[in-house]
Amino acid sequence: MRTGMFVKGAAVAAVAALALTACGNGGSGEEAEVDDGPISWMAMLHTPTTPEKDGVIESALEEYTGQEFDMQWVPDASKEEKINSALASGKLADIVSLTMGDSTQVRQALGSGQFWDVEKYLADYPNLAKIDPETLEAAKLDGKLYGVPFQKIKARYGVLVRQDWLDKLGLETPHTIEDLTKVAEAFATQDPDGNGKDDTTGFIDREESFLVGFRSLTGYFGAGDKFEVTGDGQVVPAFTTDAFKEAMEWYRGVYEKGAVNQEFVTVQKTNQQDAIAQGKGGIVVTGLFEAKNYQALAESANPKTPMKWALVNDMKTADVDHRILTDTGGGMGGWLAFPKNEVKSEAELKKVLTFIDKLMDEEAFGLMTNGVEDTHYTIDGDGVVTITDQTAWEQEVQPYASSRPSEKVVMYKSTSPYVDEANEKMAEQEPDVVINPAQSLSSDTFDRQWSTIEEQVNDAYNQYITGQIEMADYDAVIEGLRSQGLDQIIEEYTAAYAKVNG
Amino acid sequence: MSAVTAAETAAPTTPTTGSATPSRPRRKRASALWKHKALYLMAVPGILYFLAFKYAPMGGLVIAFQDYMPFLGIGGSPWVGFDHFVRFFTEDTFLVLLRNTVVISLLLLVFAFPVPIILALLLNEVRTKVFQRSVQTVIYLPHFMSWVIVASIFYVLLSTDGGAVNNLIVEWGGQPIPFLTDPDWLRPLYVGQEIWKGAGWGTIVYLAAMTAVDTQLYEAAELDGAGRMRQTWHITLPAIRPTIIVMFILAIGDFLELGFEHMFLVMNSLNRSVGDIFDTYVYTTGIENGQLSYAAAVGLFKGLVGLVLVIMANRLAKRFGEEGVY
Repeated sequence: MRTGMFVKGAAVAAVAALALTACGNGGSGEEAEVDDGPISWMAMLHTPTTPEKDGVIESALEEYTGQEFDMQWVPDASKEEKINSALASGKLADIVSLTMGDSTQVRQALGSGQFWDVEKYLADYPNLAKIDPETLEAAKLDGKLYGVPFQKIKARYGVLVRQDWLDKLGLETPHTIEDLTKVAEAFATQDPDGNGKDDTTGFIDREESFLVGFRSLTGYFGAGDKFEVTGDGQVVPAFTTDAFKEAMEWYRGVYEKGAVNQEFVTVQKTNQQDAIAQGKGGIVVTGLFEAKNYQALAESANPKTPMKWALVNDMKTADVDHRILTDTGGGMGGWLAFPKNEVKSEAELKKVLTFIDKLMDEEAFGLMTNGVEDTHYTIDGDGVVTITDQTAWEQEVQPYASSRPSEKVVMYKSTSPYVDEANEKMAEQEPDVVINPAQSLSSDTFDRQWSTIEEQVNDAYNQYITGQIEMADYDAVIEGLRSQGLDQIIEEYTAAYAKVNG
Repeated sequence: MSAVTAAETAAPTTPTTGSATPSRPRRKRASALWKHKALYLMAVPGILYFLAFKYAPMGGLVIAFQDYMPFLGIGGSPWVGFDHFVRFFTEDTFLVLLRNTVVISLLLLVFAFPVPIILALLLNEVRTKVFQRSVQTVIYLPHFMSWVIVASIFYVLLSTDGGAVNNLIVEWGGQPIPFLTDPDWLRPLYVGQEIWKGAGWGTIVYLAAMTAVDTQLYEAAELDGAGRMRQTWHITLPAIRPTIIVMFILAIGDFLELGFEHMFLVMNSLNRSVGDIFDTYVYTTGIENGQLSYAAAVGLFKGLVGLVLVIMANRLAKRFGEEGVY
């Protein structure tokens, strides 16, 4: 009898628990559809923690724009999975930050007609009307603009070299690839940190070498930005060109001398930053603005760090003048796109565009860049901005900084040593920028096959640099890919390019 | 279609509850049902769980026979029949994936499967209860770490750029070993990590089976002059044999299901040639390249192979006079 009671009681409890769970699931799945409610915004998060909901910056922005909004943060590291599955399931927000401009999935989603074409509306808004026409052009897909482009500086990359190590070894700041090679080898062999141990190297590279750091270096050798147009009007991938392979041969030589971290293929971005901050290597090919971040990271570990950086923005080889591959798709950091199933009417679209336009006003830009005056920063008579509460800034403001529709509204002066220098040097090299000619062209085969092709070439590149295969094998991989869509892509792009440039 | 899909993942999830004998008259069966109504009521949450989270999602497998486009939905996407399967079986990658998956699965069966049994036998022989319990607790711990943590720990230990193990090797005058990037090291590394993480936890079921052994058997054996080794060999092992066989059948069912997370974390472009398995391939084609239908076809294939293997293993077990899983 007693056990019988117990069994019944347990069963009832179990059923009740299940019913509760079911309710919980049902409740969270539905979303309210109110027209004049807050705007939802799916954005990338580049910081380890999300800012508080309805925190200072959000409230201040809501007050300034007169528009309530909710952020849905997507950690930048997992954005590919998150955004792709959100696109696949159609569970999006009113504003979706699509920062992966060359992702096949994103381009397919944009091209599928699920997002508003905003071009004709831009002229009605003071800030949106002023977007750089080159950037707008780069943001189009087959002549249509499926979102407001994130505006960035066109070429931010360069070479960062440890100035204190150069001084110690009595070397000049390198401005040519030849000198850079010597410096890298010296860093690897001559104990630049003076600790008596052979524990330093030249380049600190990472897993994405082929797509990021090394790719930028190939520009100095004359390779194009992902694609380039040959003399006879063909649009070919940069990695098939002689300049690119020349750069590979050079980099392998540097690697073999131990002047590149040997296991870079396993190194993630944060490992790379740690290695740089710990002084494991003295050369980084990255955004010039990163010098400040490396410095800060090193100082947080050791306030007396001897670290000093030289920011090089004029690297060249003997036969090629300085040129720089754009790292922002020609000043285009992706789109703020508006899915039609969330933004249901033209009126709603205008509401969202008004909101974005206001975010580009100087005041809103300031909030998203520096935070609230006297809480996060102070500004002196010369217009120099000092972040006074770094921790609060990192938690409350920095997350919004990467969601600014434009990074170019105002360039604030800074007390921190490398910021002004980086801003100046990035602006200085904008005329030398090289932009991917295929970016605004479309090719079905590219959308379908490119990621597979790129992955295989990426693997072959890594294998070549680390000495597992030779250049003939790399060529063989590319030849093998020609029948798997590579030739088709070249053909389609060449045709599309000829059509546009008649 | 639904028959195929329903059968597909039924294999690993089949509950081991006994079924009523079919020969009985209907009235008796109904009254038996009523008699045990409390028990059946208790099973309801579990049944609902399997219906909602295991069987209902199987309907989505139809996209393997479509050219699925998210914005068109399952209703609107065009049907393509077996196109994705034809593509999969004719592509060069298929053989590579099959080889990598089968080799690692075999290594796991040979090296990782027996470890919990041996560990459990050893633990069973420990007479100091405190020592036995503390060892058990310590070896359970890795089970609760996520693969990310496990992979990171091994990364820090084994890297050639300042990893502890390689530092030691260099200090002793050796050459650093590229554990993380050398294709030859991937499989030992993978199997080693599986053992480290899972072996302790795996002992639980065997230790439970051992507690059921009648202690009189040991006493009798001792009187007959059997030592510890003989007792283990003739009493403990035969007693847990049904458990071992059930676990083995279940392991066979997961033969192609190595799991995506672990391999994804230890694989990089230098060891991809031996590391790419069906699960990582489904991820790269499905999620990264957006070929959802194709990835679903690969996944379906994997599940079907698992089902066939389980049925075969079960038949084999029954032929040798064991109970099997159903």
